[in-house]
Amino acid sequence: MYPVKTFLMTELLAGLRLTLKHFFTRKATVLYPEEKTPKSPRFRGLHALRRYPNGQERCIACKLCEAVCPAQAITIESGVGPDGTRRTTRYDIDLFKCIYCGFCEEACPVDAIVETRIHEFHMERRGENIMTKDKLLAVGDKYEAMIAADKAADAPYR
Amino acid sequence: MSDDIVKIEVNGVPLEARKGEMLIEVTDRAGIYIPRFCYHHKLSVAANCRMCLVDIEKAPKPMPACATPVADGMKVYTRSRRAIDAQKATMEFLLINHPLDCPICDQGGECELQDLAVGYGRDVSRYTERKRVVKDLNIGPLISTDMTRCIHCTRCVRFGIEIQGIQQLGTIGRGERTVISTYVERAVEHELSGNIIDLCPVGALNNKPYRYSARPWEMSSKPLVAAHDAVGSNIYAHVLRGRVKRVVPKRNDSINETWISDRDRFSCYGLYADDRLEKPMVKIDQQWTEATWQEALELAARELVKTLDGEGEALGVLVSPNATLEEMFLLRRIADRLGSRNIDHRLRRRDFRDQNADPVFPWLGCSIEGLERRDAILVVGSNLRMEAPLIAHRVRNAALDGAAVTFVNPAAYTYHFEHEYVDAPVERMVHALGALVVAAARETQKQVPAVAAKLASEIAASDAHTSAVRRLIGKERALILLGHLAQRHPQFAEIRALAAALAALTGAEIGYIAEGANGAGAAISGVLPHRGPGGAAGGEPGLDVQGMINSPRRAYIVFGIEPREDIANGERAEQALKSADTVITFSSYVTDELLGCSTVLLPIAAFAETPGTFVNGEGRWQSFDAAANPVGDARPGWRVLRVLANLLGVEDAEYRSAEEVLDGVRRAVGETRPDNSYSGQIEAEGDAVQVSLDELDVPIYSVDAVVRRSEPLQRTVFARGAKGDDDARAEIRVQSAG
Amino acid sequence: MSDGNSARMEAGKAVLSEHVREEIDRWVAKFPEGRQRSAVIAALHAVQHEHGYLTQPLMDAVAEYLNLPPVQVYEVASFYSMFETKPVGRHKISVCTNISCMLRGADEIVEHVERKLGIKTGESTPDGRFYLKCEEECLAACVGAPMMMVDHVYYENLTPEKVDEILDSLD
Repeated sequence: MYPVKTFLMTELLAGLRLTLKHFFTRKATVLYPEEKTPKSPRFRGLHALRRYPNGQERCIACKLCEAVCPAQAITIESGVGPDGTRRTTRYDIDLFKCIYCGFCEEACPVDAIVETRIHEFHMERRGENIMTKDKLLAVGDKYEAMIAADKAADAPYR
Repeated sequence: MSDDIVKIEVNGVPLEARKGEMLIEVTDRAGIYIPRFCYHHKLSVAANCRMCLVDIEKAPKPMPACATPVADGMKVYTRSRRAIDAQKATMEFLLINHPLDCPICDQGGECELQDLAVGYGRDVSRYTERKRVVKDLNIGPLISTDMTRCIHCTRCVRFGIEIQGIQQLGTIGRGERTVISTYVERAVEHELSGNIIDLCPVGALNNKPYRYSARPWEMSSKPLVAAHDAVGSNIYAHVLRGRVKRVVPKRNDSINETWISDRDRFSCYGLYADDRLEKPMVKIDQQWTEATWQEALELAARELVKTLDGEGEALGVLVSPNATLEEMFLLRRIADRLGSRNIDHRLRRRDFRDQNADPVFPWLGCSIEGLERRDAILVVGSNLRMEAPLIAHRVRNAALDGAAVTFVNPAAYTYHFEHEYVDAPVERMVHALGALVVAAARETQKQVPAVAAKLASEIAASDAHTSAVRRLIGKERALILLGHLAQRHPQFAEIRALAAALAALTGAEIGYIAEGANGAGAAISGVLPHRGPGGAAGGEPGLDVQGMINSPRRAYIVFGIEPREDIANGERAEQALKSADTVITFSSYVTDELLGCSTVLLPIAAFAETPGTFVNGEGRWQSFDAAANPVGDARPGWRVLRVLANLLGVEDAEYRSAEEVLDGVRRAVGETRPDNSYSGQIEAEGDAVQVSLDELDVPIYSVDAVVRRSEPLQRTVFARGAKGDDDARAEIRVQSAG
Repeated sequence: MSDGNSARMEAGKAVLSEHVREEIDRWVAKFPEGRQRSAVIAALHAVQHEHGYLTQPLMDAVAEYLNLPPVQVYEVASFYSMFETKPVGRHKISVCTNISCMLRGADEIVEHVERKLGIKTGESTPDGRFYLKCEEECLAACVGAPMMMVDHVYYENLTPEKVDEILDSLD
């Protein structure tokens, strides 16, 4: 049987047929980065610290995220803020340690620390993997509209 | 079995209890947990939180375990449906007005209410009305308040009445409007006030300097011994990333019970002062430069040898009584090696004439706990509450138990218990004691002892003296305590001789309140000019502290001291150091004074950063490990001293750990038996001396370098009053009333 | 006790009038030695009767006179509704709102008084004539509910008209 199949090239043709078929079906790949696949509002990417609409930091330095973090990627130092409230004086996330589990976000009583849908980030130098409080707040400030929309989209399911 | 034992049954477990005991004491002893907020084993029973309701058979309703005395045959169920329901209902009421601010509350994570809410709270509140809000009050620099969180357990109020002896907080208002308050905004001022922070089961009263700086679960808890008085309170240092964040008491019923003084609790905030010495520094050609440890220590050893040039006598060693036993022992060995007997720790003492009559170590005369069992205590020359707050607390307990407590003091310090006071003006303290001895001789119909013979002609015993003496005579366990003021007095020899005579006449015993955390250890390890380790006498005595500054030496080793503040006649001490060729200073801090008078500055670890051993006033050896990391390049004192000892060629000094040093101390010291019996031969003269009380009395928050740098302590009314702030003095007067 | 305490008693004497001191002494004598704390209520009554309300210096004076920590006097003064720690109107109106009176229409009476005087409970009229007490509990006159007490006098079976009559009769 085998020589016959080889001689008639039926298997080759069957294979080519499949290939030909895919020329005319819709492609599964996207042309990243020009094209992107849709993401869930629950996507857990780069972290951000949010503010209230009046500009006040949300974070109250309760350190629950630090406590819950399974990778011990978060380091917080706290103190009495200028207005007498409890505030962080340092809030560092080590992105190399972080496993993007989202527990910090779940633990946060004030929705201060969030994981945004941003996943395109990189480091060029040593030390850039540490997201300091300023950097986290900057991310939060820049993408607040997006973060708020994602939170709102997810809210009915929580 | 005696009659006062009753048998009860708790959750089916048969237990024995003493008649009249409260149920909760029995269950606590048996390890059966009953939830509670207002009950505290050291305070009276209030039974106002209702959290400890338990089910008792045949009782019509659940009963509070803290206020229900045991009865024979009582059957108790702490986990029955009825008990649990009652506790849950209580919890629901308590949570009605309690804010849900656990994430920003410092008590979060160590909160009794939070813990019990997990066990007994409902997950959804049925309460929809508005919650109560209470305005906070400022009760001083040590304690922060968030009174909205208060659940009115009144532990703090009872602490004020029962332990401090002065009520400063009260329950103001009634019903839902009840608040714990001072009513008029004023600082709560007592040397034990910080304990209400631990007592508060919620986050209403908290540690102000610690406020918001850490969470309980992230700190490690390291056992330590407090380093400021002869009590040797057991404490835990809570350490985060190598830094002490706060200090809390460690329960030890034979020393500090569950209390610690504010000085022990808040001194740690002086550790990280701006003027910490972080690197070894050497003075070369009048210029201070930073050096490596190697360079600095080699220079120190070289300079010492060069300056002394074989004359050991030219060296003086001044040691802080707060140094550890290990450090003291090594200093002693270094002094021996260099051939000097001029080593001393009695920095604030002025009178050394009778030092050969000193006991092996300044012993309290009994255990700290034993103070409470004394039936008469005569305190001579002591601002007791400020010198050793927890000894004052024990003396108070003794007084409440009926002991006759009498103070022979240069000033009428405030004590919140029944006591008598004999005025002994500082320049005529000897006369006051002489009068007591004369009165005692008359009352016991004995001859006036030789020591007071000369005085007897020129003094008259007043009614106060007679009364004070009568309070001692015929008592089985009378104690005469010599406080710091007496020990610092220029006529300490006479004072002690007279006190000993008084003790002999009345059958009392003598006790000393040692200075510093390790005054007893210093004497034991031989940091004395006239004795070796273990009290061994021998050889020609060297110079004491005053001798060392009055006839300046060519070289000094200064350990953990700021001369001006820590030494009697401090200005002169500073001058003596300045005039010396070589001064090797071991210090945790760097000040202009130290820069001015030292040639080498070696940074040593401060309290909590070094392992070591303290011997407290009752002679108890307490070792501890380092809790925090030394700041900068500072190293534990014993390590630095070991290297210096090696460089100087001290034999057998290759210690690898503090434990090995301690073993060395033990071998050198042998058995020391506390013995305060007096053998001196002093005859008291009637001359008055020129000395002021301000010189003798070191304010409570100025005793050592760490305390002086604790900013919260320096802001207290006590500290401000000592610095001459009249408002603060007026405040102390108002508060100490009643 | 030490000299400080007798000095305090002297300070207390200076503020309190002779009559008040006599009254306090009379009450202190009724209690065993050392239980002078029991006389705080009577002492505060005497002081309030003379001064209208209790100021902090007055309470301190009582504390000093009885040799108590001041906070113990504040506790008593703030606990009992019959003690005023702020200036109030001359006539003190307490409308009982406890259960019997409530069932018989006390809420209406309170509302009426509030409307008539133009103040809320816990407030005084601007002319200093009336003071309407905050939420009074049972005054033990349920038999004549609803009732109120004006300057220590009980008025029972109240109606709005009767209240008007009573209040108008006061100066």
